[in-house]
Amino acid sequence: MTVSPLRHLGALAIYCFWIALVSGVYLFIFYETSLAGAWASVERLTQDQWFAGGVMRSLHRYASAAAVLLIVVHVIVEILKGHYKGPRWFSWVTGVPLVWIVVVFGISGYWMVWDELAQYIAVSTARLFDSLPVFTDPMSRNFLTNESVSDRFFTLIAFIHLVGLPIILVLGLWFHLLRVRLPRINPPRVQMAMCLGLLTVLSFVEPAVSHGVADLARVPTEMRIDWFYLAVYPLLSETSAGFTWAVVVGGTFLLAALPWLPPRKAPSVAQVHLADCTGCGYCADDCPYGAIDMVQRTDGRNFEMEAQVAADLCVGCGICTGSCPSSSLFRRVEPLTTGIEMPIFTIDRLKTMILDGRRGRRGGSLVVGCEHGVEVGTGLGKDDRAIVLPCIGMLPPAAIDYALKVGGYGGIVVAGCAQDGCYHRFGDIWTIDRIARRRPPMLRERVPRERLRLLWGRKP
Amino acid sequence: MIRAASIFLLGTVIVGVFTQWPVYSPLLPGQAQLTLSLAHLAERLEPCQPLSAEEIAALPPNMRVAERCERARAPTRVLLSLGGEPILEAEVQAVGLHRDGRAYLHRVWTVPAGRHELVLQLADSADGSGHVISEAFVIHLESGSNAVLRVGDGAATLANLESSP
Repeated sequence: MTVSPLRHLGALAIYCFWIALVSGVYLFIFYETSLAGAWASVERLTQDQWFAGGVMRSLHRYASAAAVLLIVVHVIVEILKGHYKGPRWFSWVTGVPLVWIVVVFGISGYWMVWDELAQYIAVSTARLFDSLPVFTDPMSRNFLTNESVSDRFFTLIAFIHLVGLPIILVLGLWFHLLRVRLPRINPPRVQMAMCLGLLTVLSFVEPAVSHGVADLARVPTEMRIDWFYLAVYPLLSETSAGFTWAVVVGGTFLLAALPWLPPRKAPSVAQVHLADCTGCGYCADDCPYGAIDMVQRTDGRNFEMEAQVAADLCVGCGICTGSCPSSSLFRRVEPLTTGIEMPIFTIDRLKTMILDGRRGRRGGSLVVGCEHGVEVGTGLGKDDRAIVLPCIGMLPPAAIDYALKVGGYGGIVVAGCAQDGCYHRFGDIWTIDRIARRRPPMLRERVPRERLRLLWGRKP
Repeated sequence: MIRAASIFLLGTVIVGVFTQWPVYSPLLPGQAQLTLSLAHLAERLEPCQPLSAEEIAALPPNMRVAERCERARAPTRVLLSLGGEPILEAEVQAVGLHRDGRAYLHRVWTVPAGRHELVLQLADSADGSGHVISEAFVIHLESGSNAVLRVGDGAATLANLESSP
């Protein structure tokens, strides 16, 4: 099964950055950081060795543009999923500057070619910055005539593009992923191959070429704008510097403020019951948000550690309940509690729902789904029963055993988000691994697998 | 697999198209650009006062000067007209916390290509009297050209095109 690229947008953007990095290193070997040499060296690279340098240049450009496209779709998808609220604010806010770092990265790259497009970018950028009451000597004076531009300018831009921005981008990525547990940095190999293959085909079909050499005595016209990186410049030309700044700064702040704008819903936070916690650490291992730490035992019981929940990181998915070995419905405790659970959906409530579902019914199946995955409450037979959990990862394997053995259900359907697209990142993976006995707590071997079905899908 | 490939193909087409289309032109055919770049060191607001021999002697040896000058400079007044119509009338303050630097101004106009008469007047004295620069130019702008009028420190020159002063 091939997973949708929409599940790996961030990783694919990073992969495009790698393509741009490798192709960029090749381009720099032939690039001359001088006024006279910049355009000519890129032109030689593009025309004289079209089969190598030309393709590398096209790959460099198209991979960079693809990265922006992937980032934009990544942002839209995360907004639609609501993945910017609550404890996820940190990754969201640290992602916003990354957008601009990438855009400035691309702009500086276009600038290096010193063709008419680069001239337009340079003059417009100077105009944009001159509108700020910061600089005394207007930056635009550097681009009045062809004689105003110096070789040092190209050394500066090359330094920014080749050293400064890559370092800032990597640091920014590190911050962006700091609170993401087990981040997926690399997309699946088949997707890498597809991405590289199609970008290479595009490079041959539509090679990236320069405009005419920059000439400050003329205003560039008929420019083939890269709208992924350069859209701000036509906006500036058509409006004013003040309006452009308002759009850029206002849009950035609006995007960054999204986690604190309504509608806001405070997530339920997992609670630790020390009486049931053995300090095994499974919950800390499984939490997709790194919200659980194992700390020194405080209640004097003969265990070394205990779980501690960081309320500001917990999103209330309940995966920790599914990973707790104490979440066995066979235990004879009233009310049933477990080592760590959600106040809004306790393990006792799950047990009650499983047993209540049996009253007055014969055979039938128990369908356990999640709030974000395939719809499980419709199309059921009269003896079937559906339970919807915050995340399918919250389902303890022992609950499956219990439902079949004590509950008397004919079969169990475990349903969740489209595979590898879990709303809470790892709920599907952990559930599959627990059932397949690859991850603790494991589903007992005695459970008849033929009475168990897994169903993954998206909410319609 | 087909779905994933279709998504990648769609993405590649989007990248291929929007990295070079639609074409954009900041100027329409038949238009040209006129740029004014002012960098002018104006007169001081207060004239420098010569120091007497006693006053000079009273200064530390390494700081002895012949006259004492206030730092602030007068604002620079610029008047620019194109074909008899004023297109700029500005009073530009000197930069710096003490207003002791040059007065900078950078303006760009989109104008029709063709022959134009350009008249520049610049005054920088504290009382606003007199013009340091007063010049007229006849310029021939080709479509898409960028004429630069550099003004400052007592001179006004045209760059990037031929002119008739």
